[in-house]
Amino acid sequence: MSRSAVLRLPGGLNTGSVMNTLNSRADATLGALFLEFAKIGLCGFGSLLAWAHRVIVDERHWMSEAEFADTLSLCLFLPGPENANISIYVGSKFRGPVGATVALLGLTAAPLAVGLVLGILYLQYPHLPVIQNILGGIAAAAAGMLIATGIKMLMPHRRRPTALFFAMLAFAGIIVAKLPLLAVLAGLVPLSIAVAGVMSRRAE
Amino acid sequence: MSSLSAPVALAAQLALLSLISFGGIPTILPDIHNLVVVTKGWVTDREFADFFAIARAMPGLPMILMTSLIGWKVAGLAGALACAVATSGPSCTAAFVVFRLGHRFRDAPWQRIVLRGLVPVTVGIVIASGYVLARAADSHWQATAITAAAAGLMLGTRINPLWILVIAGAIGGLGLI
Repeated sequence: MSRSAVLRLPGGLNTGSVMNTLNSRADATLGALFLEFAKIGLCGFGSLLAWAHRVIVDERHWMSEAEFADTLSLCLFLPGPENANISIYVGSKFRGPVGATVALLGLTAAPLAVGLVLGILYLQYPHLPVIQNILGGIAAAAAGMLIATGIKMLMPHRRRPTALFFAMLAFAGIIVAKLPLLAVLAGLVPLSIAVAGVMSRRAE
Repeated sequence: MSSLSAPVALAAQLALLSLISFGGIPTILPDIHNLVVVTKGWVTDREFADFFAIARAMPGLPMILMTSLIGWKVAGLAGALACAVATSGPSCTAAFVVFRLGHRFRDAPWQRIVLRGLVPVTVGIVIASGYVLARAADSHWQATAITAAAAGLMLGTRINPLWILVIAGAIGGLGLI
């Protein structure tokens, strides 16, 4: 299945540009933006990103695999939750500032209402073991979904040894060396960009 | 006076933190804790920990739910809404401006090179985040098996992930983990 996701890339890795327009403009109405992002927000237990990827790339084709990875990379260098920033990107790509606002509201409003109500209820009965157990099961599955999303995002780059190498270094920096995110970014990103620059010059 | 000044001060502080929240909730959590628990005493340590657990467990954006629960404690529904807007507004406006600028330079060759360098690091971080979540959630081999099964189903099938969550929640609710 991941094979078809890779084949669908328009131009594969060459679509490095941000805000690259696809042909799905007609179906990206304000209503659709609101509903799809509400779905991402409401389903996204544990990991919104896995759902955002599923809906935006796999179901709606509002972004290619490469564009999704590009946008998420940019979001790591912006303040705020990356998923909120992705909703702003998609909304503004198709419908400008209004679309960005509508997509962000879809992502945040409904889950916030549900979360506030359930959260305040939960505070009244904090130690029901059944609820703890259900949440434990969901958390375990959500972790697996996020790992799978990372692997899918890596697929378009699987033939670039330097890309695999830097992905591994970033993983090791956080898991093995236990470095903070900002340190990993500051240490690896300049190096990774420099290597990408040298490789593309050599390819020409 | 104090009934009005507390939520306003909280929202103003959150709006400032929002602009520097690179990397999301973990980076500004110590600052929020310092303000609402240590300095102002609006929320107890226990409540703060409960809010965090709830925010992680609920759907949606954890950072916004977390600050909304604090706002709820300080000033009810109005406090919750003010904190939600203060937490998301400034950072989201910044993101919108950056995306517009990125759009303007979308055909510049340097942008392609920058992204080719950036993306592998991002992907490594995404997989590492999943691994961290898995280690926190997988206290037994049964939970590890659920994590592995969920990853396998996501990669190998087109199943709606909602089913994965429902089944995993049911297995947990039946006490099988």
